[in-house]
Amino acid sequence: MEDVLDEVVSSEDLQKFEKIFHEQLHQGNITPKAQFEYAWCLVRSKYPTDIRKGILLLKELFNSHSEGKRDYLFYLAIGNARIKEYNKALHYVKSFLEIEPANQQVLALEHQINKRMEKEGLMGMAVAGGAVLAIGGLVGLGIALASKKK
Amino acid sequence: MTMDYVTALKILVIGESGVGKSSIILAFTTGDYNASFPATIGVDYKCKVMDVNGLKVKLGIWDTAGQERYRTLTNSFYRDAHGAILVYDVSEPKTLQKLNEWVEELQVYSTKKNIVCLVVGNKIDKPRAVSREAGQAFAQKHRMLFIESSAKTQEGINLAFEELVQKIIETPGLWESTGSSSNIRISNDERRQQEESSCYDYSCSI
Repeated sequence: MEDVLDEVVSSEDLQKFEKIFHEQLHQGNITPKAQFEYAWCLVRSKYPTDIRKGILLLKELFNSHSEGKRDYLFYLAIGNARIKEYNKALHYVKSFLEIEPANQQVLALEHQINKRMEKEGLMGMAVAGGAVLAIGGLVGLGIALASKKK
Repeated sequence: MTMDYVTALKILVIGESGVGKSSIILAFTTGDYNASFPATIGVDYKCKVMDVNGLKVKLGIWDTAGQERYRTLTNSFYRDAHGAILVYDVSEPKTLQKLNEWVEELQVYSTKKNIVCLVVGNKIDKPRAVSREAGQAFAQKHRMLFIESSAKTQEGINLAFEELVQKIIETPGLWESTGSSSNIRISNDERRQQEESSCYDYSCSI
């Protein structure tokens, strides 16, 4: 565990808040509290399908419940960053910083997202570089074989 | 960059909203102060490597939101904590009374039975409404360490973490060394992972 993006929800927590949410769903009366608690667990799951579900619930809350907007924005950024939707995540970070430009928790998150993008971008380049070397090798081999045939 | 440490400790910071939990952590990890600190969202995490009696100890500090809406969500973070810092505001007597509820939460949700706890009376730069004795009595009643601090002036901040970590290190069976000879291979792997992590480039190197 090194930063907030590595933090994973415990299965007990996920099950506990899922149960509350589904009970309210059956009664046809979901409170913003129960929806947020369940979404908060989902976006911290290790499974991308859970995270996507959490993002949907948070978007719905963001549009319908004005009181907790900063909390919803923050976890929309976390959720998107965790499924590597970095541009979307940064979009939510920027929306947040328009309201609270000096929020160090959100600035730290922005830094972590940028770092992950950089790291994965560099890894992509390394793979591409490896492919170039491999192709170069094959061409070299081809030339060597061709010259042998002569 | 090689940065070895003998153990990693989990430290939890709890207390009412607005008592200065995040400010204390910011003061400790960076030496900075921010007069208008917004409410923490959910849970924040910072780490710092600290020197205790010549031993390097990595602290993972969990900053929990004091707001009511997060009360039911944050208690799963109590699990496996080696130390807890319970913060109140010396200019707001209610925040010390409310600390009783946080002590109860800690008793219910912490899993290490000999977890070390420290009560911190913060904001001593402000006009005081809680005496030092009252804070001390609270800490004694719950068998916890006690210190007063100001995140604004840095007074007591480093001392608070030093006392807490010192006590954890002195408590047998509470923590494990990462380098015991029976599992050198595993601990080396762990160490390598931790060195590669973002923590060292960011929070810890400040």
